[in-house]
Amino acid sequence: MLADATKAQEIFHATLREAARLAVDGEAPRDRLWFFRNARWRCLEAGEQGLQAENVDFKQGELADWAPSQIEKLEPEQFAIWISAAPDPQRTALSLFYLNEFSYRDLLSLTELKPPELSKLLGNGRREFQAWLDATFPVTQI
Amino acid sequence: MSAAQLSRRDKILLHCAPIDGVHVDDRTLRAAVERACKTEMFAVQQNFDKAATALVQTIAIPKEIIEWEQTETFIASKRQPWKRYAENPAFLATGIAVFVIAIVGVFQLIDRLNRFPGEPTARRLLTTASSTHAMMLDPVKTDAGALSDFLFMKHRLVHYDVPPEFADLKTLGCRVFDDEEGQRVAQVWVVEKKMQFFMFPAEPDPKTGAAKHFNGWRYVDQDHWAGVVKESNGVCFMAALRGSEKDLAPFVSKPKS
Repeated sequence: MLADATKAQEIFHATLREAARLAVDGEAPRDRLWFFRNARWRCLEAGEQGLQAENVDFKQGELADWAPSQIEKLEPEQFAIWISAAPDPQRTALSLFYLNEFSYRDLLSLTELKPPELSKLLGNGRREFQAWLDATFPVTQI
Repeated sequence: MSAAQLSRRDKILLHCAPIDGVHVDDRTLRAAVERACKTEMFAVQQNFDKAATALVQTIAIPKEIIEWEQTETFIASKRQPWKRYAENPAFLATGIAVFVIAIVGVFQLIDRLNRFPGEPTARRLLTTASSTHAMMLDPVKTDAGALSDFLFMKHRLVHYDVPPEFADLKTLGCRVFDDEEGQRVAQVWVVEKKMQFFMFPAEPDPKTGAAKHFNGWRYVDQDHWAGVVKESNGVCFMAALRGSEKDLAPFVSKPKS
């Protein structure tokens, strides 16, 4: 979400502290995804304070058979930066989806999106990422 | 099946298809994945997602965070999806059936608890009460409590007593007749609320022939007529009037000595 390990760690701790405070006050959250929901909003808040990505329309490319070999060449930080540059809620959708920890219904709940919206954001995200991959690692280099 | 054969809805859903196929908690998505699993389009998407996830997995997580709990700790376990069961037509139909059976059972139980020996006779006499005119009875003007001796002396009816709760009421007339089963029934007309009293033999036990006993007052109603019945010494006494239980309740709520 932030592509910044230090900020992410601060948010992790802040979320933990909030959870502990609520538990001490006897108001432990009943929402089973509270931790991630809270962290998400903190990330979005933190993201608004730093440099903002420009609003540009990414090119889209059809998913290619060779995409896995392109992705293998990436550093994880590059992928994180690419996702963090996406506008929300696409950023949230892609982050949570590729964490591969959540079910479909969990994703809908966390992103607060309707099924067609989530589907569109993920589908577009893939194609935009493919276009970026094609630009970064042209097919001739594979 | 080719990608072109997939419905538009399936194609939309497949964008959200889980990467490892484990977290499919939605029936429509599961069905769409099953239909698309052999298409090339879906295979390409799955390979893309697997590669991206593998990349994400290589992100180093700070040691102090790892020292905290596993990811599962932050996602509370799901509660019982009772709503999903409730929405299932089979469970819904079974639930409704059980509910209806339970209601019928409760009504049967309440009905059974309210039954008492002599109830059929009491109901029949309520019909008699509704069709009786005062002129059909012999004029007898006295306290209802005094009728016991009259019934014994004139008709040889033993223990045909009016309970203390109704003993002070003034009578207008009285008659004794045989009902459909040949039982001797005493009928009394009183001034108060055009009430009628019936005294009739309690229902006998078919094996022993002895009268069946029950305690306290029991209510019975039929065709806008209500009666309250009490058994004593093998004879049932019923006070009946046109109305409901609440019209009779004041008479029996405070027993007189």
